[in-house]
Amino acid sequence: MADTPIISIKHVTKRYPGVVALDDVSVDIRQGELHSICGENGAGKSTLMKILSGVITEYDGQIEVRGESVSFRGTRDAEACGLSIIHQELNLVEELSAAANVFLGREHTSSLGLLNNRKMNAETSELLKQLECDVHPQAVAGSLRVGDQQLLEIAKALSLNSEILIMDEPTSALTESEVERLYRVIDHLREKGVTILYISHKMDEVFRLSDRITVLRDGKLVKTLNKDETTPREITHLMVGREIEEIDLGDSRQIGDVVLEVNNLSLPWPGHARAWRLKEISFQLRRGEILGIAGLMGAGRTELLECLFGASEETPAGKILLENQPVRFRNPNEAKRAGVAMVTEDRKRLGIFAQMCVRENISMCTLEETVTSGVISRKKEAELVDGSVARLSVKTAGAESSITSLSGGNQQKTIIGRWLLTKPKVLLLDDPTRGVDVGAKAELYRLMDQLCRDGIAIILTSSELPELLTVSDRILVLAEGRMTAEFDRSEASEAAIMEAATESA
Amino acid sequence: MNSGNDTQATTSFAKRFRNELGLIVALGIVIGGTIGANLLMNGSADYLNEPVRNLEDILHQTALLGIFALGAAIVIIAGGIDLSSGSMIVFAGSICGLVMLILAPKGPDMLPDPTNVGLSVVCIAIGVTMVVGFMVGTVHTWLITIVRLPPFVATLASLVGLRSLAKILNQAVTAQLGNQVTTVRADDATFAYLSEWWVALVIFIVLGILCWFLMNGTVIGRHLYAMGGNEEAARLSGIRTDHLKWLAYCIGSVTAAIAGVLYTAKVGAANPSTLAVGYELNAIAAAVVGGCSLQGGVGLIPGVMLGVLFLRVVIDSVAKIVRAGSDDYQGMIVGFLVVLAVAFNELRRQGSGSKKSFFPGILGSITIPILAILVGTVIFVLTQKTQGVTVGIVSGIIIGLLLGGLKLTESARAQRT
Repeated sequence: MADTPIISIKHVTKRYPGVVALDDVSVDIRQGELHSICGENGAGKSTLMKILSGVITEYDGQIEVRGESVSFRGTRDAEACGLSIIHQELNLVEELSAAANVFLGREHTSSLGLLNNRKMNAETSELLKQLECDVHPQAVAGSLRVGDQQLLEIAKALSLNSEILIMDEPTSALTESEVERLYRVIDHLREKGVTILYISHKMDEVFRLSDRITVLRDGKLVKTLNKDETTPREITHLMVGREIEEIDLGDSRQIGDVVLEVNNLSLPWPGHARAWRLKEISFQLRRGEILGIAGLMGAGRTELLECLFGASEETPAGKILLENQPVRFRNPNEAKRAGVAMVTEDRKRLGIFAQMCVRENISMCTLEETVTSGVISRKKEAELVDGSVARLSVKTAGAESSITSLSGGNQQKTIIGRWLLTKPKVLLLDDPTRGVDVGAKAELYRLMDQLCRDGIAIILTSSELPELLTVSDRILVLAEGRMTAEFDRSEASEAAIMEAATESA
Repeated sequence: MNSGNDTQATTSFAKRFRNELGLIVALGIVIGGTIGANLLMNGSADYLNEPVRNLEDILHQTALLGIFALGAAIVIIAGGIDLSSGSMIVFAGSICGLVMLILAPKGPDMLPDPTNVGLSVVCIAIGVTMVVGFMVGTVHTWLITIVRLPPFVATLASLVGLRSLAKILNQAVTAQLGNQVTTVRADDATFAYLSEWWVALVIFIVLGILCWFLMNGTVIGRHLYAMGGNEEAARLSGIRTDHLKWLAYCIGSVTAAIAGVLYTAKVGAANPSTLAVGYELNAIAAAVVGGCSLQGGVGLIPGVMLGVLFLRVVIDSVAKIVRAGSDDYQGMIVGFLVVLAVAFNELRRQGSGSKKSFFPGILGSITIPILAILVGTVIFVLTQKTQGVTVGIVSGIIIGLLLGGLKLTESARAQRT
C-alpha cells in the first residue's frame, strides 16, 4: 500500500474553446508529501487543482485517489474523498461568524433540529487554537485580517478531516509574520500525515517547504523533481523555458526635477479608533524616479495612492503639489486630466472590463482622442491600440479577443497600456505584479525602467520586498498610516525595511 | 487572404448579432404559425385578409412601447434599472393635458375649452412635459448617486408616487379651473394628430437611430457600457460615472414622457387610474428579450427594437388565435417570454445544454406536476369551448407524463456517470 500514490493523475487533458488548458498531464502524489506545483500564470496549475477539487467536472483522462478511480461531480464529492482546497481568492461568507463558516453546510444541530452553536463554537475554537490563531469563533469573518481568514479556511478543511489539502498561492496576501505562522501550521499538518499540494511561484517558499516539485508550462507537464536534486534557478528555467537573466535596473537613470510634492497628507478614518488612515505624510517625487512604498497589509499603501489619484472615500487633508501647482482632485477624472494615472491593485474587480475586448479595454481612458465629428473612429482607435499592444508586447490573439482570454500578466499590461496612452507625468502602480508570473514580472520591471527613462515618475507599492529593492530608487515605509522610514537604494535592505514596517506608532 | 477576411467578418457579424438574427427568425415563425393556425381553425387568416390594418396596428403598438423601452434598455445597459416608466407615462400625459387646459381659451360657460387650443399651446405643453421628464430623471440620479439609494428603490418610489401625484395634481388643478375631475381631457384637434400610427413609428425609428448612434458610435456610449460592466473600474478609469448616470436616467424618463404624450393623444385623455399600468415591466421585458443583461454592460439597440417588435407580435398573435382582448393575455405572455429569453441566454452561456438536468431531486419532482397543472390551465383558458375542461386536463396529464419521462432519463443518465 505504501507504494500506491495517494493521488494519481493520469493523462488528464482539459480543453476550452480555442485553448488547451491541460495537455496530457500525468503526476503521482505520494502519501504524506508536500508536493509543489510550479508554473507561470496560464500554465494550467489552477485548472489542474480545480479538477482535483471537483470544481471542474468535465475533462479527459483519469484521476485515482488511493488507487481507486474517481470522478467528482462537485466539491462535496471531493471533500467526501478527503480532498480540500484553499483557494487563492478565499471563499468565506463575510457576514457570518468564524464558526458558522467552518461548519457551513455541515452545521451541528441539537435533537430538536436547532443549531447547536455552543458545540460549533467550541470545536472552532479548538481548531483555531491548533492553528495558533486567536480569533474568537463568533467573530464575523469579514472583519478578520486576510491571514486569519485563510486560517479559517484551513480550520474548515481540518474539521472535514481532510487527508489531502490543496493550497493555491496561500501567501500572496500575507504579511511576513503571517507567512511564518502559515509555515508552522503546514509543518504541524504534515506531522499529522496530511498530504499537501502547494501551488506557488515563489521559489523561496517552494524550496523551503517541498519534498517534490512539479513544473507545468503551457498546460504540459515539464518535469517532476526531488527538491534535493534541483535548484531554484533550474525550476524558474523550466517554468519559463529560458533563463531569466539577472535584471539590472535603475543604473544611470537620469533623475530630474520634482514632479509631485506631498506635504502633511492625512486621511481621516471616521468611526475608527485610529481616526486616521494616513497621518502627516510628506515626500517628494522626481521625474524619472521610481519611489517604492513598503508596508504591511493595512499600513495605508493603497490609501496613499488613492489620495493622490482623487479616489479616496474621504477628502484628505494636507497639500499636494503637482509641478509646483497645488492640486486637490475630487475624482479620478480630474487626476487623469492633470497627468496622474493609477493602475489599481485588484485587477479583476477594479481594473478590467470583463465583457469587453482588448481594444476596448486599452482605449477606455483616451477614447476622446479617437473621435472625429462626434463618432469614435475605429481606425484611429485601432492605431492607438495596436501601438500599445506592440509597445508593451501584449501577448494576445488580436485586439478583438476578449480581455479574459489573456493571462494575468498580459491583462496587467493592457491596463498599464490604457494609462500610458493618457501620457501621464506620474504613474501610480498599486502592487502591479500581484498574481503575475515570473517571466511577466521581469518584463514589467523592464517596462517601468523604460518609462522612467522616458521621464515619467512612478510610485510603486508591492507586497514583495525583493521587488521593491530591485526596481526602486528610494523606498518609503509606512506603518499603521504613518511614514516610519525613508531609504535610498544603496542603504535599503529587507531587514531594515521590515523593522520600520513593524514599528508601532 | 481576402476571402478569409470576408468569412471572418461574416462570422463575427453573425456572432455579434446572434441575438438579433435569432429574433428575426422567431418573428417569422410566430407570424407564419399564427397564419397557419388561423387558416386551420377558421379557414381564413386575419393577417392575410387585412395586412395593412394589422401592420399599422402592430407597428403603432410596437412604436409606443418601443419608445420608452429604448430608455429602459439604456438604463439597464448602464447597470441600473428604471421601474418608474409606467407611472412616468401617465404623469407626463397628465402634465401635458393640464398645461393645455390651463392655456386653453375660456368657453361660453367660463370653463377652459381644450378642444381647440392651437399649435403653439400644444408645443408649449409638450415642451413642459419633456422638462418634467428631465426633472424626474435628475431626481432619480440625485437619489442614486448622492443619497446612495439602490436604483431599484429610488425608481420604485417614483413608480408608486408619480401615479398618485398625477391623480392628486389633476384634481387640484382642475378644481382651480372650475370643474374638478381626475381624468384630464386632451382632445385638442392639433394634439390629436399625434395619435396617427406613423407619428409614433417615425419617433420610434428616429429615437432608435439616435440611441444606436449614441451607444455604438460615441465615447459616451462606450463609457455607458463600461460603467454597466464594471462601475468601480469605470470610475477609476477617470470616467465621470455620476454624469453618465444622470444622462441614462434622464433618457429613461424623457423617453417615458414622450410615450406619455403619445399615449395621451391616442386615448384623448390622461387617466391616472388606468393609463399605462404595469408598462414599466413590459419595457424591461422587451429589453431583456432583446438581449440586455440585467447585470448591465450587455445589449444592443437593434436587439431591443426587435425585442419590442417580437413582444408585440406575440401578444397580437395570441389575440388573433384566441380572438379575445389581447390585454388580458399580455402579462402572461410577457412573463413567459422573459423567462424563456433569459433561460435561453443562460443555457447558451453554460454551453453544455445537452447534459444539464432540468428536474433534479425533490424540487424537480414537485415542479413537474405544477408545470403540468399550469399548462393544463392555460390550454383550458385558451380553448374556452365546452370541452375545454377535458382538453385542459388531458393536455396537463400528457405534459406531466412527458416531463416525468424526461426526469427518468435524466436520473438514469446521472446514475450512469
